[in-house]
Amino acid sequence: MTSPSRLEADAVVIGTGAGGGPTAAVLAERGLRVVVLEAGPYLRTDDFTGDEGAMTARLYRMSLSRASGMALYAGECVGGSTVINDALCFRPPGEILAEWRGRHGLSGLTDAALAPFVDRAWRDVHAEPTDRAHASRNAERLLRGARRLGWSGSATPRNVIGCANLGLCNLGCPSGAKQSTLVTYVPRAERAGARVIANARAERVGIDGGRARGVDAVTIDPATRRVTARFRVEAPLVCLAAGALGTPVLLQRSGVAAGGGLQVHSSVHVTARFAEAIHGYYGPTMSYAVDELADVNGRTGPGVMIESVSALPLPTATALPGFGAEHETRMRALAHYARALVVLRDRTRGRVAADGTVAYALEPGDVERLRAGMAAAARAYLAAGAAEVLLPVLASRPLRTDGDCAKFAARPLAPSELALLYAVHLFGGACMAGRDADGVCDERGACFGVRGLYVVDAAGLPGNTGVNPQITIMANALRIAEGAAAEARAT
Amino acid sequence: MTPTLEAVGTLARTGAALERRAFLRLAGALAAAGLLPSGCRGVPERWAPGPGTDLAVLSPRGYATCTAAASRLVGPEGAALIERRSVDVGRFVDAFLARTPTVAAPMAQALAVLEFGVWPLLRKGWPFTSLDGRAQDVVLDDLMRSRLEVKRQLFAGVRSLAMLAFYSAPESRAVSGYPGPFGSDAVPIGAAMIGPHDLW
Repeated sequence: MTSPSRLEADAVVIGTGAGGGPTAAVLAERGLRVVVLEAGPYLRTDDFTGDEGAMTARLYRMSLSRASGMALYAGECVGGSTVINDALCFRPPGEILAEWRGRHGLSGLTDAALAPFVDRAWRDVHAEPTDRAHASRNAERLLRGARRLGWSGSATPRNVIGCANLGLCNLGCPSGAKQSTLVTYVPRAERAGARVIANARAERVGIDGGRARGVDAVTIDPATRRVTARFRVEAPLVCLAAGALGTPVLLQRSGVAAGGGLQVHSSVHVTARFAEAIHGYYGPTMSYAVDELADVNGRTGPGVMIESVSALPLPTATALPGFGAEHETRMRALAHYARALVVLRDRTRGRVAADGTVAYALEPGDVERLRAGMAAAARAYLAAGAAEVLLPVLASRPLRTDGDCAKFAARPLAPSELALLYAVHLFGGACMAGRDADGVCDERGACFGVRGLYVVDAAGLPGNTGVNPQITIMANALRIAEGAAAEARAT
Repeated sequence: MTPTLEAVGTLARTGAALERRAFLRLAGALAAAGLLPSGCRGVPERWAPGPGTDLAVLSPRGYATCTAAASRLVGPEGAALIERRSVDVGRFVDAFLARTPTVAAPMAQALAVLEFGVWPLLRKGWPFTSLDGRAQDVVLDDLMRSRLEVKRQLFAGVRSLAMLAFYSAPESRAVSGYPGPFGSDAVPIGAAMIGPHDLW
């Protein structure tokens, strides 16, 4: 793109995902002149081909915690992680808000105060229950196991209109059914006059005399990711929504202390083989969740959600044990596999450094809870009639009986034994807090000591949510953006 | 979370394990510095990159090691596709590592260790690519079953790389029976959805 070296606006928003999208829409619809910077490309629905390799390269960014080998992923495109998530929608759990009020001094974050914004986000992205027309056999196997064990679980609301059951939610929805910010808030912002600049990465926030003055940014060649030009956006209001991997880095580069309090939902997967064909590679990527082991929404378990997830060839090949002829024989049964994610509400806290390096070493207690989650998922599948269940634990044997599950649940498990450990739900690094000694911004999202600078994304949340977080992030962004817009207009 | 990224997660864990092991880093560094052969000399032609193959990250030796390992890891029908070059594992891995710099260096090291590592680290005295299939299986099996975490991580990383490359290729659908991303006449998307008597 060709970009002028200097732009003027009333507000600049960094990022277009669950935080940046709603913020840009609110600010623009309240009459502010808004510039939106997005580090990734601006792809449209027609650009989403379902080609896994190409889409992964164009839509994702990855970081690695070298301490634990945990891979951390986020969307990097217009729409951010809402383009590559599984479309699951949960209201923020009451226990989480209570914890944020009690431990982090965010006394204004009551259920009642947030509810209008949650309702608004719910409507804006068309969250709706997953009905029978969008129920896959893959998800039904997990449901069946949960019912037989008497466990709590339910179909999950998803933000879709006319889902075609393609199973490609994570690669950019080719049918346009998923109501990511790419097709909801970002177009709304543009209709209200916002200018969205893709392939533009914010480098630092200009701060002068304790006040935000704008953002220094670069444009990037989308093919090589090399810097092609530098420019500045002058604006008295700066809203940061570069995600938990980006916002803390940007703050630190701008001279604002940040990066602490990083928290994630650690995730592993479990694969089960059934006698009958399931064709788990089709259908919504996720649509049913067991919350029996959760520690939110009235549950008192170890903090684990078990969520059905599609069984495409590659992750199944990675999950199956062994190699050679044995592995090939198992792969021929691809149509017979169901899969679930075990998603943990971690207690671990980590840090993002100014150079983007992530330090996140999983606590032993979290490893134990992950093990409990894997054992529970295996029990559910066996109860549903699975012939065997495969775990992402190096050199582990398939589980075929409840006794196998009990043995696994009781054995020691080192983090290094996990063949796979990753997170896509990332929180913190620029946390809201009741006082500046405890966080980066106050509960209005306003950074301590810098007027006009707001954190509007998951980086501002003081901890993880125990459920898929997009609605919580959107609601919080709407709340902060309304306050920031009112303040901007008043001044 | 896409399948590719799940595989990257496994590779990342291998990378982290290698980073904690100085002697394995050394093997990779020796290869990178040219102190161990990285060209095609001594590599059986069946594993070497074809003429004009342009590699961004892998050395020709790394390409050959990756291809040879994949042909044992994916099974006999898959191996036939790889040896016929219907699926070019080495080229795919090279392109993948080029756009995933986080894991490129440790995985190149892992391949160097697999190729040049000898007893007592690996159960062989010669380069991996020079062994026959049965001897290669012995090496891989030893890595998979080892009590040493780093050897199991090495196996997991190389295996993930091989699976990633092979099962990303449409030709691999002949092995897995996967009908493709948008359904097929044989397996329409509706076959994956619940019927009237299923729970919901």
